Amino acid sequence: MSAPDDVARMLTLVPWMLQRPGASHAEIADAFGVDVATVRRDLEHLDFCGLPGLGGGDLFEVMTVGNRVVLRMADELARPLRPTAREAMRLVLTVDAVADLLDEELPALRSAVTKVRAALDIPESTADVVGSDGPSTRSTLRDAVRDGRCVRLAYQGRADAEPVDRDVDPWGLHVVDGSWYLQGHDHGAGDRRTFRLDRIANVEVTDAPLRVPAPDHLEPPRYVPSDDDLAVVLDVSPRGRWLEDAITLDAVEERDDGSARLELRTDAPGWLARLVLMAAGEATVLSPHSLAEEVAATARAALAWYEPDGTVG
Amino acid sequence: MTPKVERLVNLTVALLEARVPLTLAELKRRTGYYASGDPASARRMFERDKDELRRLGVPVETRPVPHSDEQGYLVPRGRYELPDVDLTGEEVAALALAVRLTGTQGTPLALAKLAARAPDPADLATRPTTRVELRADPVDAVADAVVQRVPVRFTYRRADGSEATRTVDPYGVVQRRAAWYLVARDHDRDAVRAFRLDRMRDVPVAVGDVGSYDPPDDLDIADAVSGPQDPGVEVELAVQPRASWALAIRGGQDTGERTPDGRAIWTLPGLHPVRDRSFLLGLGPDVEVRAPDTLRQAVISALDAVAAGADAEVAR
Repeated sequence: MSAPDDVARMLTLVPWMLQRPGASHAEIADAFGVDVATVRRDLEHLDFCGLPGLGGGDLFEVMTVGNRVVLRMADELARPLRPTAREAMRLVLTVDAVADLLDEELPALRSAVTKVRAALDIPESTADVVGSDGPSTRSTLRDAVRDGRCVRLAYQGRADAEPVDRDVDPWGLHVVDGSWYLQGHDHGAGDRRTFRLDRIANVEVTDAPLRVPAPDHLEPPRYVPSDDDLAVVLDVSPRGRWLEDAITLDAVEERDDGSARLELRTDAPGWLARLVLMAAGEATVLSPHSLAEEVAATARAALAWYEPDGTVG
Repeated sequence: MTPKVERLVNLTVALLEARVPLTLAELKRRTGYYASGDPASARRMFERDKDELRRLGVPVETRPVPHSDEQGYLVPRGRYELPDVDLTGEEVAALALAVRLTGTQGTPLALAKLAARAPDPADLATRPTTRVELRADPVDAVADAVVQRVPVRFTYRRADGSEATRTVDPYGVVQRRAAWYLVARDHDRDAVRAFRLDRMRDVPVAVGDVGSYDPPDDLDIADAVSGPQDPGVEVELAVQPRASWALAIRGGQDTGERTPDGRAIWTLPGLHPVRDRSFLLGLGPDVEVRAPDTLRQAVISALDAVAAGADAEVAR
């Protein structure tokens, strides 16, 4: 950690400790999200803080008895430093986003957010997260996670042409920038899997308890391209560049006219073909050849419905 | 030599305790720092410390010293101190849990500041089922401007790929559908606009003073991002069974009617004919747009364009 971070923490540590004489090192570490060694180092520094130049110095007093610490003679810093604009923005946006999502589980958060916004002078007219309510399956899945019940999902993964049944031990829900995911153990795959809630066609909660319990720490879901994936090169016109927001890219080569060449890998060519279709001609597959053919075939199959002599009038 | 962290904390204490602006000479006397070496390098060391404190949010002010041509320095207590926030133990616990659930960088310290003089967190009965991730990093680039009401200038990539310079009064920051927006008054167009932060090609630079403008009282920044409310049109589709769930979760209804070849006919309300065309295209041969006719024709020409473009590439 850098010196400025340490200073910001120490300026906050002083009022916190003045309020809680006799707090333990572990309690301090927990409140500030740092380890105990960092707390001990902070306290050693604070023992030399105050106004060292006056007479013999007018310094703070740090008294440690066993594990407990008392800070005295530090009334110059009795109140905390105001959060910076960046800290305040991040905090308000973070707690507001959580309050929107966990309204029922954490009712105290709503009133806390109102107070924090007022204290930091960041009303909703200055910073806001517009949440969608999320898919309707979310409350069913939330109950299943809480109660520890196995679920049967009808799920259409990116590589599936239609929903497939999956038996899953639900571990937890995860909202990443507004998109909902379920993480859990997929019994069919015999491994941990992540499911997007907007690709779940149906949820059935069973009476069966979890067979594989959730790990202590769940990493947020994230697509990590693998070497086994299909390497793809796309050309996108300026109007097709929204695709860059929709996929994980390895490289972007931008041209002067605003178009770009995108390099990526995918484990679901069928899904990518549909994405190219969505771009309505503003994206073209340069390679592999097989994917370009799949795009063309899909477009022609869709067009068949519209032929005057097609199967349908 | 005194560790830098101690020097910065003690400089803060000295400037907070000052009743009148302190000259560098007076600061030397009170802290014992900036005394060794030649005066020029001591001055540089002090200037660096002062800038560092300002970056942490310590409001170091520079003021003239009476009867002297020297500058003095002090930190006004009112600008430094965070007034007490009247939080309950339950609220502190809920905030701490929210911060932990997201792991957004920088928020634990901000919460520690708010809760320093509040009650200790109460025990919460709940074990949350949902974790939240908010990638708030892009907001940093405009946070100061929004909070301090400073006009900024930046290079912006428009939706069609062209670039332009924008000068704006930042009003607020909104996240919607995984994208961050700056809602601001565009000087050139004299209108409120939403700018995607990930389409800014450089870091916005301040081009005016703090407090240069007041946001309009009736501004709703969420509305500014969503655009005008559009009820949309009802679309009639012929649907293959395997795609019906994708329509159902968007509010579609099976009418019960069937096409001559047996496909189900669905209606889907509230579709935006331009924005949602790509959703329908993505369903490929699983749907046929039957009505309205304008959308049907638009889908046909888009599919033609894809097939033609793909054929050209395949032929190469």
